[in-house]
Amino acid sequence: MPEPWPAVVRAGIAVMAACSAGLLVQALGRGWLSSVGHALASAAVHGGLLAIGWIVAVGHPPRWRKGALWLAGILALASVASRFTPWGSLLYLALPILFLRAGARHAALRWVGVGLPAELRPVALGLAAGAFLGAHLLVSASMTLGYGIRIVNPGQYLAAAAYDLGANALSAEWLFRGALFSHWWRRWEFWPAASASTGLVVLRYLLDPALPGTIEVRAGAVFYMTLLGFCSCALRASSGSLLPGYLATTAFFLAYRMLIQ
Amino acid sequence: MRRAGPREDSVASAASSGPSGRTVAVIAVVLAAVTAGSAADALGLSPLRHFYLLPVLWAALAGGARWGGLTGLIAGLLQALVVLPGIEWFGFGPESLDGLLSMITPLSFGLLVGRLVDESRARDIRLRAVLDLQRSLNRDLALEDRLRLAAEQVRVALGAIRVSLVIGDAVESAIVVTAPVALDFDHGSAAAWTLCTGRAIYADDLHGDGRFAPCSGDGPFPVRGLVLPIESGSGRLGVLAVERAKGFSWAMRDGARQMAVHLALGVENARLTLRQRHFADELEAKVAEATDRLADLDRAKSEFVSVVAHELRTPLTALQGFSELLLARAVPPERASRFVRHLHTEAQRLGRIVGELLDLSRIESGGTLVLHREAIDVNELLERNAELFAAQHRDHRFEWTPCLGVPALEADRDAVDRMLKNLISNAVKYSPGGGRVALTAGPSDDHADMLELAVEDDGVGIAARDLPRIFDKYVRITSPETAMVRGLGLGLALVRTLAEAHGGMVEVESLPGKGSRFRVLLPV
Repeated sequence: MPEPWPAVVRAGIAVMAACSAGLLVQALGRGWLSSVGHALASAAVHGGLLAIGWIVAVGHPPRWRKGALWLAGILALASVASRFTPWGSLLYLALPILFLRAGARHAALRWVGVGLPAELRPVALGLAAGAFLGAHLLVSASMTLGYGIRIVNPGQYLAAAAYDLGANALSAEWLFRGALFSHWWRRWEFWPAASASTGLVVLRYLLDPALPGTIEVRAGAVFYMTLLGFCSCALRASSGSLLPGYLATTAFFLAYRMLIQ
Repeated sequence: MRRAGPREDSVASAASSGPSGRTVAVIAVVLAAVTAGSAADALGLSPLRHFYLLPVLWAALAGGARWGGLTGLIAGLLQALVVLPGIEWFGFGPESLDGLLSMITPLSFGLLVGRLVDESRARDIRLRAVLDLQRSLNRDLALEDRLRLAAEQVRVALGAIRVSLVIGDAVESAIVVTAPVALDFDHGSAAAWTLCTGRAIYADDLHGDGRFAPCSGDGPFPVRGLVLPIESGSGRLGVLAVERAKGFSWAMRDGARQMAVHLALGVENARLTLRQRHFADELEAKVAEATDRLADLDRAKSEFVSVVAHELRTPLTALQGFSELLLARAVPPERASRFVRHLHTEAQRLGRIVGELLDLSRIESGGTLVLHREAIDVNELLERNAELFAAQHRDHRFEWTPCLGVPALEADRDAVDRMLKNLISNAVKYSPGGGRVALTAGPSDDHADMLELAVEDDGVGIAARDLPRIFDKYVRITSPETAMVRGLGLGLALVRTLAEAHGGMVEVESLPGKGSRFRVLLPV
């Protein structure tokens, strides 16, 4: 397979351009236009992550362009729709299904772990690990930092959960574990590959403007995302599937969404 | 980048012996232990607060570093829920340090104990695998079957997806066995590369490694490849190739190297045993052949005595009969003259038999024949013999063409004459229905500096199986067509002895039913 990095750089530039355009619209626009700008910027980031993962996983442009653009389009639609109604977030749920379909159709995607694991044990382990870390986060944040734990608005909670399922956890799992970890794991041993991939995950969440800027929160993000990253890499390596890690990440973020300051 | 992970499978079996189905139980016990430990801590029962180490110890002993580390991590995280709020509320003090140490202890304890457990298990598995290898390689089987067993044992011991053993020094002629069994051996594979270069290889992903032909596995796991030359004191014997998903730890690589060394010893021993067995079989066959030959010789000698007795009796009876007739009554002169001619002929015959017996005696005693070498005109010798036999055997057609380029031959005239007479006599005897007998002489085409005297007939010929023994003493090849042929079975043995005494040789080409061609080759 040819090295994918030139295409990754080109895609990165396109993503940054799209994201900047979205942010510009958000800054200059008012009312619904500002929301659309924010939605487009968010969709550009997640679509970009998915597209870069697709490039790394599949390689040649003719093979990734169509699938990646298709996913980015749905992502943008879901992002815009969710700005106007929480039900619009349900569109995010189409993305995991599309991924599973793509995995069944393209052998190259099974190569990076898009597919179901051979047995149920890693799935249960993934859910347990995510739930444990999520519960730990809740207890730790409430006891240490005084955060509250409750679901204030069920609609918004479900919208956030749909976003995590279809965009946040999916793009993280797809790019960092599926594409990058798989790519490096075929060249290096487990620990260097897992460290590099987890390092990028931590960086991605530290750069996320939605993350509160306090030092405790940032330290917590580094701590939990590191544990979650290594845990997902181990699950991907042992099961050969992204599903257990995806479930772990989703379970963790479902817990995270219950935190209120 | 190729560092061994802290505890990536020491040996596959060691890692797989973890409490796979007991994960939930481990977590439950850890939770209970930490809760009990925390409660004990809260109640001031400080010695009991390290109770949480017990499940970590159990997980490390049962599942090695992987499960010990995981359980220790969970225990540490649970401790953090108690320790960190304490620091937040009361600030950092001596108790906080104690709490932080309590957080770190289970993880490091689990990893350390687990690692020791893994190492001891890996060593145990390696030793057992090496013993099994030796047993398999010493079994009483064909080399290929022994190697197949050994490959399977290496595969199981290292938890590999495929193991190939290539024994030989060239790809084309090597014995290749794989576990599980595969039909083909790719000449572009990593194993073939190591066989050619003799260098060990570690490939992170054989499937994506451009140096080699893609291997069979193309799933979500990389196929790590470790290819080691199998070398003994006598040189390179072959290659051990191990394919494994998810990587090789250093312990595993060391294990594979040890197995390669034991494979070399085993293969060398197996080859030696097979060679000894082959040698013993060969020796046995040779002894059996020699015994058969001796039995044949004994039988031939008995027949010879019987034939000699018969051959001597015939002329003796004639001599006795005719001499008694001459002594007992007055015989008319013409009749007496005929009787005397008969007496003379039989005496000559007796003389020939005695002469042959004397020759035999000389051959038997191993003494050298005394040759009186002189320049011989081979053309003249052949012509005289052709005329002599033509006069006696009217049914045969004797062909002889003088050869102008025949070099002068320095040899014993009588010996050459006897060789020719024996060969011509055989040609006549074994052409019972008459036919052509061709005599030729000239420089040999295939032996430099040799003169060739050839006698060719259209007779019954000799079967290929009899050709190797026709020059032996007492041997007479009989067939229904030549059952009446008389002789002592010494003629060809004598020809060979005389030819060799001259520094030459005798050769024969024959086809049953087509005839024979005898060639006497003498140095000039």
